[in-house]
Amino acid sequence: MKIQVNGSKAGDKENGCALCGATWGDYYEEIDGEKLFFCCDVCATEFKNMIEEIKRRTGWKKIDELSIEGNYYKGRNCVAKTEGREYKFYVKFGDDAEIETFKEIE
Amino acid sequence: MPICPSCEYRASEWKNIASHMYLMARNSDPSHVMWMNRNLTMKEVDVDNLSIMLENFFSIKDNLSFWIREKFIQKFYGESPHPFILAMQNPTRGVLLGYVIEHQHFLKNWVKVLSEIIFKTDVEEVIKYELENINVEYFGYNGRPSHYELLIRMGESLGMPREKILSYKPLPSTQSAINTWRKIAFESNWVEIMAAMHSLELVADKTLRKYGAKMHYFNETILSSNDFPKEVKDFLREGYEADQTHAGEALKLVDKYAEDPEKIQVTVLRSFDAFAKYLTARLERGMEFDKNLIKVVL
Repeated sequence: MKIQVNGSKAGDKENGCALCGATWGDYYEEIDGEKLFFCCDVCATEFKNMIEEIKRRTGWKKIDELSIEGNYYKGRNCVAKTEGREYKFYVKFGDDAEIETFKEIE
Repeated sequence: MPICPSCEYRASEWKNIASHMYLMARNSDPSHVMWMNRNLTMKEVDVDNLSIMLENFFSIKDNLSFWIREKFIQKFYGESPHPFILAMQNPTRGVLLGYVIEHQHFLKNWVKVLSEIIFKTDVEEVIKYELENINVEYFGYNGRPSHYELLIRMGESLGMPREKILSYKPLPSTQSAINTWRKIAFESNWVEIMAAMHSLELVADKTLRKYGAKMHYFNETILSSNDFPKEVKDFLREGYEADQTHAGEALKLVDKYAEDPEKIQVTVLRSFDAFAKYLTARLERGMEFDKNLIKVVL
């Protein structure tokens, strides 16, 4: 999966956490067969919850590209892509890494 | 004495705190990583640089209240002002209703937390100060309506009945912020609680621009505009005129009675974190009435 966080490549230690873009930490999770870097397990859980929600709402089997803009405070504006299709949404997470708000953007 | 802003581990030098935080971050401890991400830098640095950054971040150049003001401006009015403040430059009915519905819960909690300060202090000028603040917020003074009542009236003027306004439960982000402030109230000493709560009143302090804020809390032309109901202007004017005095006076008391400035700094930052989340909740609620509002947070 090609991931961009706030305009920069993300998902490995060198470039930063797949959700927030931070290079602190040393936490990895396999998602869709790919080992992704996260700064902590909270970001990893949030990311997994987000991916599951996209798949549930779109019916997609996998996501090729994901662009994330924003942060913890104001939530995140995202664009997911697969096989030429595009899905835009806003997501905000709660205190336990759960999805607190998820809004599809037209 | 240097303190870890995440777990409050104490050491005699910032270098020791930096080593501790670096190790915790290397182990991906969420609380330590998040603190650094949100306050210092998202890019990993070595212990020496981290030590310098921490020392600079917590360094009090003038007095504690000046440091608090500076950090507040950086977080809410800096390069990227909070989206709620941006929305208040040209507020729609949705923004203002979001404000009303979530803020009623904030104000109720506000007076509860202030009462904990009174409970915990024996300093008479602090007791009087807090009682006066509670009075203004909840009962009104000199025949003028309370801040809480002005808020509800603002909602009514926007077409929402009082019973409906009062029937809303807080959004999860508002509740999470309230939980943080209640935790601070239970666990901290009264000076820390004062600093954590009254520093939030800086949000409407009109002198902030003198210290580097890029804009005011709301577009001040609203106060003389015919595009907004009188009740909207009454509510905004009250905060505009009161919060400067409130925050300023409280922070003077914090300066006067602070015995452990580093601990106060850490508590204040926790309160700022909660406040940033809470301000977003106002916008989120506002989206229920104005779908275009989502563009403000994008």
